[in-house]
Amino acid sequence: MNRVAYYKGCLASLSAKELDISTQALSPKVGLELVEIETVTCCGAGDIHEAEPDYYLHLNARILAYAEATGCETLMTVCNVCTLNLRQANFQLVGDEALRDRVNKNLAKVGVPEYGGTVDVRHFLWMVAEGEGYELLKAAAHKGLKGLKVAPFYGCQILRPSKLLGFEDPDRPSSLERIIEACGGEAIDYPAKIKCCGFPIIQAREETALGELIQPIEQAKEAGADAIVTPCPLCHLSLDAWQSKLKAATGKDFQMPILHLSQLIGVAAGLEESELRFKRHVVSVGPVVEKLSV
Amino acid sequence: MAVDATAHAPERTMDVALKIWRFDSSTGERELADYEVAAPEWVTLLDVLDLIKDQVDGSLAYRKSCRMMICGSCGMRMDGGAVLACKVRMYDIAKAGHVPVISAMGNLPIVKDLVVDMEPFWAKFKAMKPWLQPGYDQPEPNQEHVISQERMNVIHKESLCINCGCCVSECNSMESDPEFLGPQALAKGMRFVGDPRDAAKVERLDAYSSEHGIWDCTRCYFCNERCPKGVDPRDAIAKLGAEAMAAGIDEDMGAKHANWFVTSAKTTGWLRETELVPKTQGVVSSIKQMKFAMGLAVKGKVPPPIPPHVAEGVKESRALFDLVKQQGRGGALGIVQGERALSRLEHEVGHASGGGGDQGVGSRDQADITPGEEPTRKRGGE
Repeated sequence: MNRVAYYKGCLASLSAKELDISTQALSPKVGLELVEIETVTCCGAGDIHEAEPDYYLHLNARILAYAEATGCETLMTVCNVCTLNLRQANFQLVGDEALRDRVNKNLAKVGVPEYGGTVDVRHFLWMVAEGEGYELLKAAAHKGLKGLKVAPFYGCQILRPSKLLGFEDPDRPSSLERIIEACGGEAIDYPAKIKCCGFPIIQAREETALGELIQPIEQAKEAGADAIVTPCPLCHLSLDAWQSKLKAATGKDFQMPILHLSQLIGVAAGLEESELRFKRHVVSVGPVVEKLSV
Repeated sequence: MAVDATAHAPERTMDVALKIWRFDSSTGERELADYEVAAPEWVTLLDVLDLIKDQVDGSLAYRKSCRMMICGSCGMRMDGGAVLACKVRMYDIAKAGHVPVISAMGNLPIVKDLVVDMEPFWAKFKAMKPWLQPGYDQPEPNQEHVISQERMNVIHKESLCINCGCCVSECNSMESDPEFLGPQALAKGMRFVGDPRDAAKVERLDAYSSEHGIWDCTRCYFCNERCPKGVDPRDAIAKLGAEAMAAGIDEDMGAKHANWFVTSAKTTGWLRETELVPKTQGVVSSIKQMKFAMGLAVKGKVPPPIPPHVAEGVKESRALFDLVKQQGRGGALGIVQGERALSRLEHEVGHASGGGGDQGVGSRDQADITPGEEPTRKRGGE
C-alpha cells in the first residue's frame, strides 16, 4: 500500500461528501492507504491568495507542515483548486529558503510544526493515471462500464499553469481518457474539455460564468456523451448544480449526469450505492446506472 | 547539438508542412490550405511563413517585424494555442512528422488570414491609462530620485509585457464577456499600480474594479500558459485584487466573495459555504436565489451553517492571520515574495507541438527578480 496524507478540502468535507465517501471506499482497491492529517483548514481556494496573499501562504504552509508530520511523502488532493494552491505554496517554500525560514518562524509562534519542504502535492487523478496505481486500477475495474460514453472534463487548475502542475501536456491531456478506457468506457473528445467551468465567478459574475459553463455540457451532449467525468468538485458543483440555471437562461435542458472521477472508477470497480452516493447529485445519474445494469 | 566545425558546410534542410486557415473578411470565405516547403533546420514558424509567402503564395497575410520576440507582432495560433511565430522552432515538430494547424488568434476579429484587428485590444489597453502619473516631489537641484530594487520588483514581471495579445487569445472570460478588460490590459494596469512613482494608484484600482475588470477573471490560467514573456497576467490580476482590497476598494461581489474565504478560514477554518451567497451577493439577491438553493438543499448541497463545521486547529489559523497582518506584507507583496522561487521553475513537460510550449527557448524570458544572480536555468539534463 502506498501511504498518502489525504487532504479533502472544503467541498469533499461538506457539500460534496459523495466525493470523500467514494474516494475512501475506492482507495484500498487502487493501492492507496489514506492517512488522516491531524489538523487542516481550507487552502483559500484562490480567493485568499487574492484577498490576503501572505495569509494564503501561511495557511498552506500549515497544511503542508501537518501533512509532513504524518511521515508520508505525498499529500493527496481530490480537488483541482486545492492542488494548485498547495503546489504553488509548496514551490514557493521549497524554492526560497529565506521565505521558508520566515514562514516557519511564524508557524512556530502559533504552535505549528516546522515545514521541512519534503512533501509532494499530488492529485488523486495522477496517482491512478500511471505506474502502479494505473495497473491496480485496471485490475480493480473488473465490472467495466459496458461501453458507456464518457466525456472527460479536466477543469483548469489541474492543467494550468503547467509549470506548477506539469503532470501532462496542458493542451492535449490524456490521463482521464486513459482511465475511462481502462474502466471499459468510451472516451468522448470535444474542444471544451480543457476549458473553464466558470465556477470561480459563478456568484460574482453569473452571466459570464454561465457562458463558460454551457460549452462543455453542450459539446459533450452533441458528441453523444452519457455522462461527464471530472477530477474537481468545484467543476462538479457548477456542471451539476448550475445546469438548472442554464435551462432557465437558454431554455436548453441538458440533463447531463456529472460524475466525480472516484465515482466513475468506483462504478467499474463494483462499489455499492452507499459508497457512491449518486443520490446526492442534482442532475439524476439514473440513466447511467440503468445503462450499466442492462 | 554538436557544433559543425566545417566552415562552409552546406546548410542542412528539412521539409516543413503546415496547414493554414486562410480567411477573407470581405467575402467571408474560409479555407484550410496545405503548404510544404524545404527549410533550413534552424527555422522558426515565422521563417516558414516567409518561405511560403516568398515561394508558394504571395497573398498569405500575417504580421511581423522584429523576428526576435520583442515587437509582439507575430502572435497567432498553432494547434489552437497562441504563440509568437518567431519563438517557435520547427525542428522537432517537422522531424516528428507533425503538421500543425496555424490560425489567427482568438477573441479578436480576423481581418485576413492570420491578421487580426487589434483595435479592441488597444482600446482596453488605453482604458488603463498606461502612462505614469507622477506623484513624487521634485528632487533637489542636482539630485536624483533613487527607487530601491525591492520596490520595483513588485512590477518586474508586468514590465516584460510586449503587447502581443497571446494571453488574450484564449482568455475564457473574454470569450463569454467580450467587454472584459482582459489579461493584457490588467497586467499593464498592475505595472502602473505597483510603480512607486505613480500617484494615481487608488483611482486606478477603483477604475479597474469595474464590472468588466479585476473580478471578471475566471482564473482559467490560459494567459499564464500562453504568455511568451513570463508576465503571468493572472498573477498580476491577483496582485490588483490584493492591492484593491488593501486600499479598501472591496464593494465588488468578487471582492466580497474573496473576503468571505478569509473570514471563514480564521473563524471556522473551513469555507462557510452556505453563508457565501448572502455574503457575496447581499440578502435581497440571496432571497431571489431561494428556489435554486432549495433544489440544492434537498441533495445535501447546502450544509446547515449551525452548528458550524469547525476545523480542529482553527485557533492556530486565527493566530496566523493576526500575526501576518502585523508584518507589513499586505497587498501585492504577499504574491511578489513568492515570485523568486517560482521564477526558477520551468515548463517541465515537453509539449510536443506548439500550443504555447517553448521548446527550450524560454529561460531567458523567465522573470527572475533578483538582479546579479545566476539567470534561471532549465532543471534536469538537456
